[in-house]
Amino acid sequence: MSTETNETANATEGNARERLLDLAAQFYDQFERGDVPHMDVPTRTKTNIEYDPEQKVWVYGDRKSTRSANSVRGAQKLLKVIYSIDFLANQLEEDRSSTLRELYYLSESWDLDEAQFNSQDESNQIIEDLEIVSDVRREEFHMRPEESGAKVMGPLRLREQTNRGDREIHCQHDVGQGGYQIPNDPDTIEFLDNDAEFVLCVETGGMRDRLVENGFDDEYNALVVHLGGQPARATRRLTKRLHDELGLPVTVFTDGDPWSYRIYGSVAYGSIKSAHLSKYLATPEAQFIGVQPEDIVEYDLPTDPLADSDINALESELEDPRFQTDYWEEQIELQLDIDKKSEQQALASYGLDFVTDTYLPERLDEMGVL
Amino acid sequence: MSGRQSTLGEEGIAEELAESQRSISIAEFFEKNKHMLGFDSGARALVTAVKEGVDNSLDACEEADIMPDIYVEVEDLGDYFRLVIEDNGPGITKEQLPKVFGKLLYGSRFHKREQNRGQQGIGISAAVLYSQLTSGKPAKITSRTKGSETAHYFELIIDTDDNEPEISVDETTTWDRPHGTRIEIEMEANLRARQQLHDYIKHTAVVNPHARIEFLEPNIEGPLKFERADGAQLPAETEEIRPHPHGVELGTLLKMLEATDSYSISGFLQGEFTRVGATTAEKVLNNFRDRHFGREMAWQPPKAHEGDIEVAVRAAVANKGKDATKSFARAVAEAVADRERIANHELRSIVDAAAEDAADGFGTTFGSTVREKATTAAWAEITGDTDDGEPRETLASDLYGLVDDATSSRKDDATLKGLADRIASKFVDSEDERHRCTRDELDDYVQRAAESTEEYDDATVGETARENVCEAIWSVMVTVPDEPPNVSTVANGRDTASELLEAMRETDIISPPTDCLAPITERLVEEGLRKEFDADFYAAATRDAAVSGGDPFIVEAGIAYGGELDDGGTVDVMRFANRVPLVYQRGACATTDVVKTINWRNYGLDQPGGSGLPNGPAVVMVHVASTNVPFTSESKDAIANVPAIEDEIELAIREAARELKSFLNKRRSMRQRREKQDKLGTILPEMATKLAAVTGRKALDIDDSLARIMNNVLVEREVEDGTVRLVVENNDSTNAEPEITDIVTVEPAAVEADGDDARVVEMDGEWFLKWSPTVASGDEAVLNYKIDGEAEFDISVDGIESAKLTVDGEP
Repeated sequence: MSTETNETANATEGNARERLLDLAAQFYDQFERGDVPHMDVPTRTKTNIEYDPEQKVWVYGDRKSTRSANSVRGAQKLLKVIYSIDFLANQLEEDRSSTLRELYYLSESWDLDEAQFNSQDESNQIIEDLEIVSDVRREEFHMRPEESGAKVMGPLRLREQTNRGDREIHCQHDVGQGGYQIPNDPDTIEFLDNDAEFVLCVETGGMRDRLVENGFDDEYNALVVHLGGQPARATRRLTKRLHDELGLPVTVFTDGDPWSYRIYGSVAYGSIKSAHLSKYLATPEAQFIGVQPEDIVEYDLPTDPLADSDINALESELEDPRFQTDYWEEQIELQLDIDKKSEQQALASYGLDFVTDTYLPERLDEMGVL
Repeated sequence: MSGRQSTLGEEGIAEELAESQRSISIAEFFEKNKHMLGFDSGARALVTAVKEGVDNSLDACEEADIMPDIYVEVEDLGDYFRLVIEDNGPGITKEQLPKVFGKLLYGSRFHKREQNRGQQGIGISAAVLYSQLTSGKPAKITSRTKGSETAHYFELIIDTDDNEPEISVDETTTWDRPHGTRIEIEMEANLRARQQLHDYIKHTAVVNPHARIEFLEPNIEGPLKFERADGAQLPAETEEIRPHPHGVELGTLLKMLEATDSYSISGFLQGEFTRVGATTAEKVLNNFRDRHFGREMAWQPPKAHEGDIEVAVRAAVANKGKDATKSFARAVAEAVADRERIANHELRSIVDAAAEDAADGFGTTFGSTVREKATTAAWAEITGDTDDGEPRETLASDLYGLVDDATSSRKDDATLKGLADRIASKFVDSEDERHRCTRDELDDYVQRAAESTEEYDDATVGETARENVCEAIWSVMVTVPDEPPNVSTVANGRDTASELLEAMRETDIISPPTDCLAPITERLVEEGLRKEFDADFYAAATRDAAVSGGDPFIVEAGIAYGGELDDGGTVDVMRFANRVPLVYQRGACATTDVVKTINWRNYGLDQPGGSGLPNGPAVVMVHVASTNVPFTSESKDAIANVPAIEDEIELAIREAARELKSFLNKRRSMRQRREKQDKLGTILPEMATKLAAVTGRKALDIDDSLARIMNNVLVEREVEDGTVRLVVENNDSTNAEPEITDIVTVEPAAVEADGDDARVVEMDGEWFLKWSPTVASGDEAVLNYKIDGEAEFDISVDGIESAKLTVDGEP
């Protein structure tokens, strides 16, 4: 299994540079024909994602936005794309890597003012465009985000290829209290063996620490994955691999508010901004543990009232195609009805062990995971 | 038209002034009124004198169908200023001389309606008088009439005691002009109004593009020359029209009445006014009769129980034979009964008719005494004034119906009855048994009746109710057939004349004809601006004629923008009335007011605060041509705020401003296009260079892409095996009509072209291939030709703005 993964990775990597150059050649040809250079990318908005029943994930629809040189803005954007291609092609040739933020600053050194990025959003967007148009993942361009991936704790032994050689790591025995740090490209990991029963993705660091301190991973053979807010791609990729390759059920445990549901949504269905990678990042089988609006009522948890922005977010989720299931509609409407939200930590109102002794076992049992 | 005779008297104001001051000398009169005449300061006097002289010269030339060529010189003599004005007009004879230059207040053409300059000013004679009064020098006049061998030199002085001009010198002289007039006057003056003087001359040149003007004053080197615009024609000759009844004032009407040869008012109206024929004259006369004589109240004929006219008439007739009397009385009674209402004079004509019939039928004469008696008796029956009748009640019951209809239904019956009763009393009590009264008297009846009703019946009769009642009664009253006073009677009675004037104004009369106006015309307004202002853009608009009061008028506007015009502050507003520039009192002029109220931001000009004069390098001109331009004051410096004229001024300016807007928009979009082209001109080559480097391929030519991006018209040449292909590709959204000239060093053969046929012309061993295709948006047109061997090409493309054109001409 490991060799296969490595081979695939290498193959696509070799391709990555070629695909970028193909894109440049496409612009070159447009110029040569006397056409206006342009490229089409899917529109990346909520209204242009659709469910792919085969993959069971949400992908971009048919609506396209055209980046064309027929306006000054468009020409400038394409110029930046071409400079970025040049940069990435060189980076790949030299087998180096850089972060998105480094790319932004690096553009300052480009001789042409018009090619420089105005903000990091702009450079991020261009990398996303390139990913989509060339069908090559950012990781294969050797571009990584500034912040590193999150951490895993649980009964799993793996091998990671690092710059300093391969390392074999057991995610309980070989790591500290913090757990195993997920690398930027989790495809460099090879799973060796495990005793895990299921994966438990946790939104907040505080809750993760509580579970680890209470020995939940040990007691229930759970792989506790810390999401750390909106999960990084690496985290989502690893979660998917844990599910696909090891056959582990995946569960997600977050706060009980609209923003947290979106965290679940991006784990399970893919995010709007990276819908082109949904089949690679999303785990459609992931299940939501809570905190559900239902739990707020059932366990009589301490709450905060919904802010206006929460209400808007909930209403927007009702229109989000990813949340149009009976389960979510029921939960969201209930929450709008009770006008309340609760954090994961609210469970501590019944004692520090309540979450590990009572809440999680009850919920996981209900969901059929335990 | 006689410009030489344009004098103070035009609107009668100065004349009236003078009339009331006949006892004083003309010099004293001038002194007292010089502020009105434009000579109140030395600075102003110079401008006014130049203005009068130039206007006079322009009129003289135009009358004689001569393109004006005018020379104006102001010279500082130390004590005095000398003003010389020369023209190439027809010249004047000795006999005409005093009339033109000498006599202040000469002529009486007050009722002539025509667009002329003279209306504007107060005549050159005032300038002559001013010069004489300040310097004591005579006016020196040189004149040469067309075809005469020699010129005449005159010196002219005005006797200020009797306002008579005297020619003190009369010599034969020579003059290099073949015909024309030169006047030279010396006067107290200064050049403090130098700017206005320059403005006046320049503006005159703008508005008279057919004239050539030279101007010299002490502070400039050599004369300023204002050349004639190419193709400018003399202004169209104007028809003189008689005044329109709606456009005269009482004073003018009185003078016209005095001057007319007509005896009757009807003849006077038809003879002296425009748009008045017999029918209209009769309408005016009826209105005049109503005012002068009043109307007669027409009452309903008596009903059976109220009286019996037949019996009454029979009783009034004695000794005419039984049958004749009976027939006569029945005829009267039947005729009256046929009518819905009857007035006294109508009854009288019924009686007359019946008397004639009776005379015819029975051979009995019904003389005037009998008729009078019969009329009185019948009228008494109608008005209830009989032995057993109560006239007040009879009339009140008649009026009740009118009052009831005229007032709101909420009035209670007692109030209506009280009101009708009291109005009836007024008729009964009136001295005129024919129940004749004017509208004012009727108003008075109703008012008094209403007030009494309010006082005694504790009711309210509001203003509207009173007016309605009055109107209802007036409408059943009948205009009397009396002969209106004749012209001399009306002329002698101010009140009667005033009644006539009101009658004229009240009558609907069609608008005056407009061929008495000579607008500059759109083309020449633009031409005039073009020759005096070096700008980037010119627009002009001439409105159709409109009417205000009784005077037709036409408004024209022009705008010049950009170029060398001053961009410092607010735009310049040039005002003209009948082709004469207005240089003073800008702030008081309707023209300026209108310019200020327009939202110029809509038209692409900067206007701080959204109102007031806009800023920018622009000149706005407005010309009002009318048979009677309304001025704010006698000095005729500012057009009065007459709504009808203001509306037309606004429409004219907006019309021209719309063109300015599209020019500015176009210029802005061309600028944006240039900026875009500049920007893309740096980005795209960099992109191409980078692409070539990244892909490792040869350097790219991006002209075609650039032309497409810029929606440009792209002209491309392909040469292959002695075949040349010129392709015009139109990437713009509108049709392109390029004019292409391809200069080839060898003779082109087998020329084939899309659209327009190409023409080949040889010149000095080079062949000029001219081709003007029309290429639709998104389309292309091809020109093919063959050449033998090597050739060089030189292509030029006209008819397309350079920013929108990409020529890829080199092989």
